[in-house]
Amino acid sequence: MNELFTDIVLGASWTVLGYTLLLDTIMFCVVLLGARRVAEARHWKGAEGHAEIFASPLTPAVSLLIPAHDEEAGILDTLRAALGQRYPSLEVVLVDDGSTDRTFDLVAERYRLTEINPRRTASLPVRGEILSVHRATTGDPLLVIRKASVGQKSDALNAALNLARHPLVCMLDADSLLEEDALLRVARPFVEDPDNVIAAGGVIRAANGAVTDRGTVVEPRLSRNWLVRIQAVEYLRSFLLGRTGWADANALLIISGAFGLFRRDLVVEIGGLDHRSLGEDADLVVSMLAHQQRAGAPHRVVFVPEPVCWTEVPETLRVLGRQRRRWSHGLAQLLWKHRRMIGNPRFGAVGTMALPFFLVFELLGPVVEVFGLASVALAAGLGILDLGTAAVMLGLALAVGTLLSTTAIAVEVLTYRRYRRGRDLMALVLAAVVENVGYRQAHAWYRLRGLVAALARTNPVWTAMPRVGFSGDPAPAELVPARS
Amino acid sequence: MTVPLGGVLLAGAAVTALIIVLLAAVAAVHLLRGRRTSRDERRKRELMPLVHAVLDDDPDDGIPRSDVLGAPADLDEIVLDLLPQLRGSDRETLRLLLAERGVVSRAVADLSARKPWRRGRAVSLLGSAAGTHHVAAMAALLADRSLEVRCAAARALGKAGDPGAVAHLLHAVAGERALPTGVVGMALLDLGTTALPILRDALTGEHGASRALVAELLGVHGDPSAAPALEDLVRDAREDRGVRRTAAAALGRIGSPTSTEPLVSALTNSTDPRLQRTAAEALGRIGDPTATIPLLAGLADDDVAVRAACADALAALGAEGRASLEQVAAGAGAAAPDAQAALDELDGPVRRPQPAGVA
Repeated sequence: MNELFTDIVLGASWTVLGYTLLLDTIMFCVVLLGARRVAEARHWKGAEGHAEIFASPLTPAVSLLIPAHDEEAGILDTLRAALGQRYPSLEVVLVDDGSTDRTFDLVAERYRLTEINPRRTASLPVRGEILSVHRATTGDPLLVIRKASVGQKSDALNAALNLARHPLVCMLDADSLLEEDALLRVARPFVEDPDNVIAAGGVIRAANGAVTDRGTVVEPRLSRNWLVRIQAVEYLRSFLLGRTGWADANALLIISGAFGLFRRDLVVEIGGLDHRSLGEDADLVVSMLAHQQRAGAPHRVVFVPEPVCWTEVPETLRVLGRQRRRWSHGLAQLLWKHRRMIGNPRFGAVGTMALPFFLVFELLGPVVEVFGLASVALAAGLGILDLGTAAVMLGLALAVGTLLSTTAIAVEVLTYRRYRRGRDLMALVLAAVVENVGYRQAHAWYRLRGLVAALARTNPVWTAMPRVGFSGDPAPAELVPARS
Repeated sequence: MTVPLGGVLLAGAAVTALIIVLLAAVAAVHLLRGRRTSRDERRKRELMPLVHAVLDDDPDDGIPRSDVLGAPADLDEIVLDLLPQLRGSDRETLRLLLAERGVVSRAVADLSARKPWRRGRAVSLLGSAAGTHHVAAMAALLADRSLEVRCAAARALGKAGDPGAVAHLLHAVAGERALPTGVVGMALLDLGTTALPILRDALTGEHGASRALVAELLGVHGDPSAAPALEDLVRDAREDRGVRRTAAAALGRIGSPTSTEPLVSALTNSTDPRLQRTAAEALGRIGDPTATIPLLAGLADDDVAVRAACADALAALGAEGRASLEQVAAGAGAAAPDAQAALDELDGPVRRPQPAGVA
């Protein structure tokens, strides 16, 4: 009996180590693909013709949709950045989704809103009551919808889609700042390949700590908060290399809801965003892909690694935990909803590569990690683990994890160069090491809880993250760092 | 359970070495970047007088031609950056300078380079710097195995400005190595009105994608001579839906009242809501009051987007359309909110967004 117990504990310990190594190896391959693509793109720098796209009459107009719930801390900065986009034709549709703070009052005052009769362009179902629709009288192309909240971001976005009038819709989080030409860059694939491209996304970076001025990130800086620093590395790895790699394999699943551009007609055709989904962004992409595939219509999902959207990331473990639980819950919903696509070659690389990866490593990963780590601890406690061997294996896993992050940091420095201060780069490198000890395990725990919530079919509710804003007291007109 | 510890240790050492190499590269690049930037700026300051001397063509400057021709390669970068901003004789002077310095001939040689980015850069350079001299060689790259190179070739042909490239570009929209229509469209627009006669002929071309693109471009040019052919496309119920929609939109841009009849027919008879919507929008652009009644009928359409487009079109018809809208808005019918929304639009024009940073 004792022998069997020992075998089980040891087996679990080695499983988690092997699993971690396998995951890191796969991620390293994805990162290599991404790095290769980024390196190739460097040679083409300057030949993209952004000025031509700005001037071209073929460039489609864009509706920027911003759902906001209690966003008084940064909403004016977000709107300034959105309305200040260097783009030939756009409108901004802000949805005040049942805010209980001054979000609406601030916008109403700044843009001198006037109530209007809504001009509907679609009939997507919206569960929260539309209270009123307003338009700016300052000359800015801004429409504001006030609606009752039902605790779902997708509901707010569907309300915005019903009034959006342009052929492309860009979904943007209310705590995000777009760089001046971000929209132009992310729209480029739609201009160049309008028959095939259905969705495109850009890079999200952590804004905490950056020096901002009236909606513009003047100097990207890294926060002093280590939790934010680790997330900064995580975002670099995920966006600069991970998504570039997946896109290169034609298997990109996720266009971030914080900054993604979509063909409006298709979004309406599939019935808008699924109000039951917590991962509405990924669900939208997969639903669009499935719809196009079934219709035999062409479809390309593109990732553009250059345009940047700066967003606030959680500064406390409590908020981070809530966010990551929600993501994991949303992923479980997504995989269940589209379960027939998993492993299905009819859906190309998405069906055979991306969805199985997300199932085995993203969704079930925390189960293996948490139970595996517990078994390692138990085995060590019982004295049945060869500590020397385990240390070597753990060291290798740690090294591979660090290599992934270091590659992302190297690509950032060699190519995009947003962080220019030496101390920020040092902090990024340190964060890349530190995240493997503590953060990664806590992350697995949060994701496991999200998975459990999904299995228990807990009613999903969208709760906005507490915001601190981009530029605060006492001098909003000066260059001040966002709280770090 | 045995683990090949030697192999694991070796792998760990290799990964650690890789990390160290990457970190060293990061540190070196970070430290050297500032130095390289200031060096580039200094060189630019030194070389700019040479460019000015070439443009002024003033012998009193005392800069021998041999100095200009023997200047470092950074001069070529400066000239290539300047070229898109110049027109006429200045542009031609700099083109000649690049040719004399061997830049153009090196680019021609690079058109068959092994690496795609070198072919792409070469064809881009020729588009900016070589005028219409190498159109055939550039057009050959429209069938390159690399999509990026094909796109670069299309853009270059647009910049080169030779209308002889129109047929090549249109041909590149279809086939095994087809180019995205947007890239071809922008290149064709770059060629300007000289491309119009060939574009009109292409409206009856074989490929739907190409016909739709041509219809869109003729609309952007506002070419009234193309209106009859575009009207035929809108009328043809067997034609591809996308082509009919694009043709309808083009007719709206051209604005000829002769197009009212086919557009009204599309609005009232089509079963494609997207075509109906486009036809309504086009009728609004044309502004012909004879479309009032069909547009009023469109306010009762099942599709919300068609209703909104009809209301907007009525608002654009002037006094007659506005009066009809006011009547509908005052009623209790299902179309009243759409009519009122369109009237609200009329009463509050929206201007373009301000540049970033403006409070």
